[in-house]
Amino acid sequence: MVKAVRGVLVECEPAIKSILVHIDSLHQHEFIIEDLDENHLFVKEQLVQALKDKLEERLKETYRPEDPLEDSD
Amino acid sequence: MSVAQQSYQLSDYLEKLPGTTFRKLYQQPSTAFAIFRRMLPPLAKVFVQALLYAPSPLLLSELDVWVRPEGKMQRDRALSILRSLHIIQITPPGKDKPQEMQLTTNFRNSMRLALEGGGFHNSFGVPSTLPVDPRIDIAYLDNYARKKWEDILHYIVNSVPVNGETGAGGGFSGGPQASVKDLLLIGRLVERRPDTRGGVGITQAGFTFLLQEANAQVWTLLLLWLEAADRARGAAEQAKGPAGNTAAKSDSIDMLSFLFMLASLELGRAYDTDALTETRRNMLPALVDFGLIYIPREDTRQYFPTRLATTLTSSASALRSVSSAFSAAAANNNNNNNNNNNNNNLGDAASLGATADSSGTGTGKGSIIVETNYRLYAYTSSPLQIAVLALFTQLNLRFPGMVSGRLTRDSIRRGIRFGITAEQIISYLASHAHEQMVRAAAATGRPVLPPTVMDQIRLWQLENERMTTSAGFLFKDFDSLEEYVSLSGYAEEIGVLMWKSDRKRMFYANKFEQLRDYLKTRKKAD
Repeated sequence: MVKAVRGVLVECEPAIKSILVHIDSLHQHEFIIEDLDENHLFVKEQLVQALKDKLEERLKETYRPEDPLEDSD
Repeated sequence: MSVAQQSYQLSDYLEKLPGTTFRKLYQQPSTAFAIFRRMLPPLAKVFVQALLYAPSPLLLSELDVWVRPEGKMQRDRALSILRSLHIIQITPPGKDKPQEMQLTTNFRNSMRLALEGGGFHNSFGVPSTLPVDPRIDIAYLDNYARKKWEDILHYIVNSVPVNGETGAGGGFSGGPQASVKDLLLIGRLVERRPDTRGGVGITQAGFTFLLQEANAQVWTLLLLWLEAADRARGAAEQAKGPAGNTAAKSDSIDMLSFLFMLASLELGRAYDTDALTETRRNMLPALVDFGLIYIPREDTRQYFPTRLATTLTSSASALRSVSSAFSAAAANNNNNNNNNNNNNNLGDAASLGATADSSGTGTGKGSIIVETNYRLYAYTSSPLQIAVLALFTQLNLRFPGMVSGRLTRDSIRRGIRFGITAEQIISYLASHAHEQMVRAAAATGRPVLPPTVMDQIRLWQLENERMTTSAGFLFKDFDSLEEYVSLSGYAEEIGVLMWKSDRKRMFYANKFEQLRDYLKTRKKAD
């Protein structure tokens, strides 16, 4: 019998996806419903924002872009 | 990481209505006409026009002659929209008979009536025969509507913290009616937050709402209101028992068709309040609160539709301000020059430029200067415009009649987190650019904003979009390959398929109503 599951489709680069999968595994797999393919994940709707915040946190640790220019006002 | 969060649209609301509701809606010529005008893409309009006076149903295969093979996608999309709005009927596929399509009876009859005139349906309003106060002219109504609508926008934007302090302050009086405030709360355009001065704070949906053009804003609010009314009636019925059910249903149909009727009225004319049904008369106070109609205090037997109401179903933008008219004209000039592809940029910006138009009307004309070093100056003292700018600008200095600040990575990111897109920011800045900038750009054939700034804003957004998300449904556990192929094929045809994997026999669609119906009819056929 065909089933329709409610959720959110997440599309991202494979590198980001692997971070997301890792975050998921640190949290008892509460975020991801299905691992679809290398660019797509299917995630619980009410936890998308939490997942985004976690990703943001993780990226902050490793990535620090420069502001294009600094001058005084 | 923006979720492209659209606020509530008319098409979403209509799609959820059952077929019987549509049949009743289409009894009104004004409704049929308004849906035709507002809701259909050009190709769908062509189909309707062709079918309108066709004596017999048209073979579906005939469409292949009309539409070039490469346009199949658009054709299917148009047919799907026409079906979901219950404008056409298509016979189910069978072996012995080819598929045929025709207009649904009520829609066809009403549409013909709307075009030819005649009938006693009073569907396009009953003009008042009483003498009209000469002070109430179009300018007066425009002013009135703008004031009402800006009050609502003010209320939403006023909850935005500007540089740490809450509220843009200054010149803010009264605000909208309590009923409107409740509606904004229910629609989650604002939410209760005890830490702000007004006690409410803006939400992500609220920001998207602010940057929409006035017309879309009005619809968003009206639909929230219709739904709230539906819910209130539903609650009342439960207390009363099942008897009131049908009456309540026809009420909400009447409410919706009244809105479509308002859209067909003539601006600056008085209409007769007594000719309205009771349901519609009960709607008047709320419509006055929104600024869609005006009722003179001394004589409540007349009502005047304002521009907000009469442009409901047209694509013309409501309450068009000087600034957008100016940049549109500049864009046209530039397109006539037609010398390089930058023109596209400007044209796009201007056509999108109606966004947040009414929120800028405090100044009347463009006031923003953006320099190549990301500094921004705005010659305005409108708290509304300053508050909107503060959503994505780091404002540093405020003078009488002017503010200055910078576009920074953080300020743009903040805006994007609120749900504003880079394109919305760019189009807002372009359409509110100071006329000096517009003139200089037109003279050299460049886009209004410095290209470096536009590109950087887009890059900042990309940096945030590590992942894009869309809500919807994953279809899985199919019984057979054949079932999977046919359903996913259908999903692709009607344009809701976002992802699929033949290997896993799963696919993802952003809507499921039509797919569910498709499955049902398939099951019946088996």
